[in-house]
Amino acid sequence: MSLKQIFEEHPERRYIMFGGKGGLGKTTFSAATAYWLASQGKKVLVFSVDPQASLSDIFQKDIFGKGPVKIMENLWAQEIDADQHIKTYQNEIRQKILDMYGFEAVPDEIEQYIQAASAEPAMEESAIFDAVVDIVIGGEYDYYIYDLVPLGHALYYLSMAKVYDEWITKITKLREEMREYEEMVSRMKREKETEEDQILTELQYIRTRINASSSILTDREKTGFFFVIIPEEMILIDEVLTPDSSRFWPKDSYTPGGPQKSFDKQYLRDYLRTLDWKKEPPAPQLPPEVIENTRARYLEALKRLAGRS
Amino acid sequence: MSEEEKKSFWQNMKEVIYGMASHDMSRYALRTRASMEHLFILITMGDMIGIPILPPYYSLRLLPYVVPQISTWKRRLLREKDVSDAMF
Repeated sequence: MSLKQIFEEHPERRYIMFGGKGGLGKTTFSAATAYWLASQGKKVLVFSVDPQASLSDIFQKDIFGKGPVKIMENLWAQEIDADQHIKTYQNEIRQKILDMYGFEAVPDEIEQYIQAASAEPAMEESAIFDAVVDIVIGGEYDYYIYDLVPLGHALYYLSMAKVYDEWITKITKLREEMREYEEMVSRMKREKETEEDQILTELQYIRTRINASSSILTDREKTGFFFVIIPEEMILIDEVLTPDSSRFWPKDSYTPGGPQKSFDKQYLRDYLRTLDWKKEPPAPQLPPEVIENTRARYLEALKRLAGRS
Repeated sequence: MSEEEKKSFWQNMKEVIYGMASHDMSRYALRTRASMEHLFILITMGDMIGIPILPPYYSLRLLPYVVPQISTWKRRLLREKDVSDAMF
């Protein structure tokens, strides 16, 4: 059965996801499917939730963080820039605080909280999750093609709707109980109306967003998930058990609950983060000791695993 | 008795009855409500006093509304407790 047949037999399937291991062609399939559907006259948006997206490469156009960009008739492509989304979101929160209380500046401890929150490990995923809700809730396209991140991350991303759903259900319940107390007091004091609880309103708004997202993810009729696989040994050799896909930690220095000494490219990533580089080409020149140190990590992994250097 | 005096008499009676019958109840309800408010801030903004509570992304949306309560909340959570707390 070909992909074409699936789309012809199930025209109601509007949310299409391509998932699988890294480097197998998720982006290629997403782009090709989007292209084919667009050329059939459907209005299509293909978007990537990967911070290292490659839709830009495939369409030969820089679309990162630029919103939906028109590629051709009926076809739009979008790469979500999570960092930018977080920054915009933080600024909205700051502005709201300033507007609500007429402050000149955001109070120190609040500002610290806003900044610390963005450093949380789940922040980037949450921002992407939220950005995707924005995209799909608009509903202006016939087809939404999700170009997912490699599998482990993708599963985490897909499970977020569930985590959020449980969280929000619990705190909404607490908030509603609080509401009952408030109403009881105003009844006893014979006040006509209780003030609207803005937090409850906000929670309900968040809830509709999360529900919109999880109802799409769990809809058998409208949503299709395609696993991209290649039955080649070469692909496995290339990826399985490399220090970047399987994490190796030295046993002697292993301590639960903290960052581990590792043998992967994290060292290089950490170094790049110390630079004032906007992650756009051209990439900065690496100092020889950084190159040497990165190389030493992989060599050590090889030595420890294979017993030779 | 003029109209006005009558009105204020009834008004006073109403307040006395309220005071006798339901003031204590509503005070108690308000106290419970305040405790819940602090509990609520704890489970959404716990991060602020070092309790890592996920997920902070949507908590940020709630932040503007709790800004005025943050300092009393911190004071209440972090202060030492003593016997007289149970009495009032």
